[in-house]
Amino acid sequence: MRRFFAPLLAIGLATAGTAQAEDTLSPLHFQSQGAFGSIDKAAAQRGFLVYQTVCAACHAANALHYRDLEALGLTPDQAAGIAQGVKLADGSTATLDSPFKDPAMPASAFGGALPPDLSSIVAQREHGTRYVYALLTGYTTVPDGVTMLPGHFYNAAFPGGQIAMPPPLRDNAVTYADGTAATQQQQAADVAEFLTWAADPNLSTRHQIGLRAVIFFVFLSVVAIVSKRKIWRESV
Amino acid sequence: MAETAATDASSHGVDSRRGFLTILTGAASAVAAGTIVWPLIDALNPDAQSEASARMIVDVADIAENTAKTAWWGGLPVYIRKLTAKQIADAQAVMTSALPDPAAFTERVPAAYQNYVVVVGLNTGTPCALEGNAPADPRGDYDGWLCPCDGSQYDPLGRVRSGPAKKNLAIPRFKFINAAQIQFG
Amino acid sequence: MTTELKQSWAGERLPIIGGLCTCLFAPVFKPGSKYFDTLLGLIAITLAFLTFSGAVLAVYYDPWHAFASVQFIDRNVHNGWLVHAYHATGTTALFGLVYLYLFRAMVTRGYRAPGELVWGLGVKLLAVLLLVGWLGFVLTGGAASYWSLFSASNGVLALSGAAGAIGNWFFGGPAGGNALARLVVFHAVLALSALVVVGVLFSARGAVAPKAERGRGVAFFPYYLSQYLAALAVFALIFSVLAFFAPHFGQPRANALPADPLTLPVAVALPWYLLPLAGVAGALPGIWGGILGVVGALAVLAALPWLDRSGPSDAKGGLYSFLTWALALDVLGLGLSCSPLLTLLLTLWYFFHFLVLTPVVTAMEAK
Repeated sequence: MRRFFAPLLAIGLATAGTAQAEDTLSPLHFQSQGAFGSIDKAAAQRGFLVYQTVCAACHAANALHYRDLEALGLTPDQAAGIAQGVKLADGSTATLDSPFKDPAMPASAFGGALPPDLSSIVAQREHGTRYVYALLTGYTTVPDGVTMLPGHFYNAAFPGGQIAMPPPLRDNAVTYADGTAATQQQQAADVAEFLTWAADPNLSTRHQIGLRAVIFFVFLSVVAIVSKRKIWRESV
Repeated sequence: MAETAATDASSHGVDSRRGFLTILTGAASAVAAGTIVWPLIDALNPDAQSEASARMIVDVADIAENTAKTAWWGGLPVYIRKLTAKQIADAQAVMTSALPDPAAFTERVPAAYQNYVVVVGLNTGTPCALEGNAPADPRGDYDGWLCPCDGSQYDPLGRVRSGPAKKNLAIPRFKFINAAQIQFG
Repeated sequence: MTTELKQSWAGERLPIIGGLCTCLFAPVFKPGSKYFDTLLGLIAITLAFLTFSGAVLAVYYDPWHAFASVQFIDRNVHNGWLVHAYHATGTTALFGLVYLYLFRAMVTRGYRAPGELVWGLGVKLLAVLLLVGWLGFVLTGGAASYWSLFSASNGVLALSGAAGAIGNWFFGGPAGGNALARLVVFHAVLALSALVVVGVLFSARGAVAPKAERGRGVAFFPYYLSQYLAALAVFALIFSVLAFFAPHFGQPRANALPADPLTLPVAVALPWYLLPLAGVAGALPGIWGGILGVVGALAVLAALPWLDRSGPSDAKGGLYSFLTWALALDVLGLGLSCSPLLTLLLTLWYFFHFLVLTPVVTAMEAK
């Protein structure tokens, strides 16, 4: 059963004629979900832009290399350029490291809440893609009767409701190259797709090969069973 | 009554009476087996990390004239030096027949970027890392490189000029992908 | 038995080739066996497949950076994700086959004489594979794996005497990189020993399989080969669905997180095939309760041919068949149960089934 989120329905993205992006927000759906899902590369590229602009200030993605971004459609030069923009000597072989040189610093600075590495976050949370979207769009006013811990914010999607991360997304905090309107919901959906790719870069290939394998083995099973019966009939 | 199996152990062929279906099954099974096994073999090919290191890209725009940068590639130190105009002119003027290991100017430098020299920085005599990358380093008499172990001297193009070494410095596989970067491999 | 096969050049010089040709081409098998009889062959093929995929994984695996090396395999090695999926789905498929093989032997009462050794070897295979599977699970370096290793390797510190010495020898100290470095070798060696057990199982089964009547026998090729191929094709179909559409089937989600000594787990998180045994281990208190539970559960299973008081030629009774199916539900319940009381009751029923119900009901029905 799909879960629909009220805020996204209010967004007028469906009427945006200039948006190059396919409308994924009303209703909310991700191309990567489902048995035959594949990574939406355009969305993942936009999501990477949001990650690099907003999230990378605190979150690392250690398992990803800059050269891995070529799988999203970037050319090797573009990937190298991005790595160079972050001033890395290793070029595109470098990993998306934590911005903090001292590994203990972020936890001590943020009251014990270490920003988790995002490489596999979608695999580490139940229904990860939707969870990321829900988390990023889930900041609401504090309900009655809830006492907030100091330095925490109320988020409906976070277990326990009290999250140490401040609301990271703002409308138009980034400018998408393909002209898609960069609303909070759009950014959240794009980041969710990017992180889905980051956790499982081979998702598209896996589903594609899987479909072919299943079809082939159905065919092979039928042929093998019929052949076996024929041999058995002829032998006795 | 059809024969069930060859009683002669040496005949392994499919009985022609088996027909199309059996051959189809056999062929499809062979295809399946090959497709399943191939990833196991391909996984032992160099992984993406090794391939990226093998095709390493190095920035060369920031090298000052008359200095060399060291890049580690394939376990070897590679010296990338930018030549001055005087060094280029002098190198072109040298009589190659008088060299211990004759090599022309055009054989030692890339065709489009003739002020760069890329050589493996190990002496070809006694294996030893060469000195001479910074202008202040001892370079020997030819303003190139000097081996601190056996005293072999090289010129700015990496050609051996004197000393126990007999061969020029090795040139690794590389190309300029643009005016500012070279890629190995 | 003698055959009239003409020996090939190699067969005359290498007895094992001659034996192989006899196995493949001599018309000595009784025709008409069921598809379920191919289970053991499928187990052997799956084990071989796991060995090869495991060897490729071992090239890249690093016990000192376990989680990172598995990520490396998934992301950087060509088709590494697929080899990983082969190995993980192969494990699920293998345990599915082994459980099915044993359950089928129980339902058909195939463990009765002269099949006691075949049954005993089957249980031994299950025991070895459970240990190999647990070691493989621990090697992934995930959060659930780390805590499972922690509780085992630190648990043995509390044992005294010979048991403690053996435990410490096995783990080499509390959980950490040092433990994984040796466990990966144990995993490989035990897996190869499982292959040996399968080989011996084939041999034992050959001794008790019904012989063909003279002149009415069939050879393996192409008669039984066609049956194996059909079974293998269906197995490959199920395997493909799991490997490509549910590569993390049966694995605890917590294992997607790297091992973290600072974060405590909420509950026991093990792969699905270890859950019933974990249930039995957790039902009885203390470390010795756990050890005795595991050893006892496998021991009563192996002792089944002697607990079953009916003779080989006695008819199968309906009540005991029903009880066998009830046992399957009991084992399923042990795997799924979250309540300690329910787990204890199911464990007690398990032992009650073997130690009390089996002798009584089978003796009753044998009359």
